Amino acid sequence: MTWVIWRQYRVTTAIAVAILAAFAVVLLITGLQDATRWHNALASCGKTNTCGTLAQTVSLGSGPVNTLVVLTLIVPILFGMFGGGPAVARERETGTMQYAWTQSVTRWHWLSAKAGWLLLAGAVFGGLVAGIVTWWSGPVNALNQGQFQPGSFDVQGIVPIGYAVFAVALGIAAGALIGRSLPALAVTGGVFLALRLIVTYWVREHFMPAVTTVYSVTQNLSLNGATWTLAQGTVLPSGQFTTNLSVGPGHVVSGPTGPQVPAACQAATSINATITCMARLGYHSFATYQPGYRFWPFQFIETGTFVALAAALIAVTFLVVRRRDA
Amino acid sequence: MTPVIETGGLTKRYRRVTALSECTISVPQGRISALVGPNGAGKTTLLRLLAGLATPTAGRAAVLGGAPRQDPAFLAEIGFLAQEIPLYRRMTTEDHIGIGAHLNPRWDGESARARLGDLKIPLDRPVGTLSGGQRAQVALALTLAKRPQVLLLDEPVAALDPLARRHFLATLADAVAEGGLTVILSSHLVADIERTCDHLILLASSRVQLCGDVEDLLSEHRVLVGPRKDTTAIERDHTVVQADRTARQTTLLVRLNGPVITGPEWEAGDVTLEDLVLGYMGADADPATGELATVGGLR
Repeated sequence: MTWVIWRQYRVTTAIAVAILAAFAVVLLITGLQDATRWHNALASCGKTNTCGTLAQTVSLGSGPVNTLVVLTLIVPILFGMFGGGPAVARERETGTMQYAWTQSVTRWHWLSAKAGWLLLAGAVFGGLVAGIVTWWSGPVNALNQGQFQPGSFDVQGIVPIGYAVFAVALGIAAGALIGRSLPALAVTGGVFLALRLIVTYWVREHFMPAVTTVYSVTQNLSLNGATWTLAQGTVLPSGQFTTNLSVGPGHVVSGPTGPQVPAACQAATSINATITCMARLGYHSFATYQPGYRFWPFQFIETGTFVALAAALIAVTFLVVRRRDA
Repeated sequence: MTPVIETGGLTKRYRRVTALSECTISVPQGRISALVGPNGAGKTTLLRLLAGLATPTAGRAAVLGGAPRQDPAFLAEIGFLAQEIPLYRRMTTEDHIGIGAHLNPRWDGESARARLGDLKIPLDRPVGTLSGGQRAQVALALTLAKRPQVLLLDEPVAALDPLARRHFLATLADAVAEGGLTVILSSHLVADIERTCDHLILLASSRVQLCGDVEDLLSEHRVLVGPRKDTTAIERDHTVVQADRTARQTTLLVRLNGPVITGPEWEAGDVTLEDLVLGYMGADADPATGELATVGGLR
């Protein structure tokens, strides 16, 4: 079967390798430039003792390359739609399944080989793209500490491997269930996108209980490492937490509804006087966040989730292929 | 000798439609059996059930002594050619020969090359660029290269011009002559069947109407031509498959249940394969359609 699959996918593989190589070259060149700029900046800020504010004075990357890096978000979806989607569906649609299934290999063998190689290809390509992006992001991560943010988290580390494996499995399963390529592509794209958005914006933050810190309204939030801040706001004297009021050095921002600056502090002469007044009345600031050291645990949890979903989809596909007529 | 292909009460239903109903057939080894019937009679369904591509709703099928199953040893013995001749259109014939070599234990790629070489079919062109006739020849050569014991061909010649059809059937006959092969070939071209097949399975309305060696079937049937009059006596002795009554005479296709004893006004004649096929297919037709009156009594 391996030979047959290679024969079926060698053109696609060649195209994928060519695109990956071009991508690698672009990121290698710009990545080396960024690394040099980062090391030079570090060396000079060490002399002038300005390393604490480096993020404000140095910028790394460039518009097009940053866009390219963000675009790697769609790599798994492409694998799912164009690698996984047609794998079973196209053979059913063109009837070649009847040809393949009357050779001297069982359907299980046929599907195991096909799904196995496609999943492996998804994992390898997804992993290579993620590896390149992770290496390229090294200086940016060191500078901005933003790798835990949605968008960056999703293209670095090992999660892209999980996404790619899941997308391929989803494509294969959708193709086997629906039996036609085009609807299978659409369903794969739609379901993948929906699930990724749901996990990114509603599920991921609950992988581990978030940490909440309460601090004085006269201070700035200072957290070490690449934290992922989920919410920031004010603790009212009553003990109630609200995100509709934000107080900190140099700013007081209140929402159109919800708590306002107390009347007793509104007469203050300056904004800092207002803040001091609020601190005296018992106002505090709070921040809810996932600490930076949880980056890798989160990567493993999310990757594991998607790989487990992929396994379930592949199991469904085996049942469908065994039960259904060609 | 145990038959190579045998079914009992084989039934396949799709949601509401019954594609094949209570199909009981038996094909001895070495036969080229014609599977005949109108469109939608269940020919494709029967072949797919025998190849293991579909699973029966009820009944049983035995091919080479066992039910069609997902077992490499069983699959190796079955050559199946689907009606639409599905091949990988972007791959060349040579690619297909390579695939066959990797997926089958006894693969005779050389015979396929030689066979297609004789027909001057290029091996290095994508299959999708070949003509329909060439594609059918490629598919047959690939199916034969598998060296199966049972060949199931679903209307393989339907799309071919008469010359390509003759080539195709000649190739098939040669392969059978080499021995060890049993074939079921579905078709609705009686002329082709007459030349190639020695066994007949007739399906109509998803049921088996006839199954047996062509010679036996022909000798079991007679055409009786006589005056327009009561045929009760004949119906008592024999099974009238089809009755065709005009103002002046009655033509009956009967299945004999004994010696033909009729009055002198009846003239008995031998039947041709075409009489038989059309008779049984006509018997199945809607009686309301014109003069073609039918009398039931199928076995």
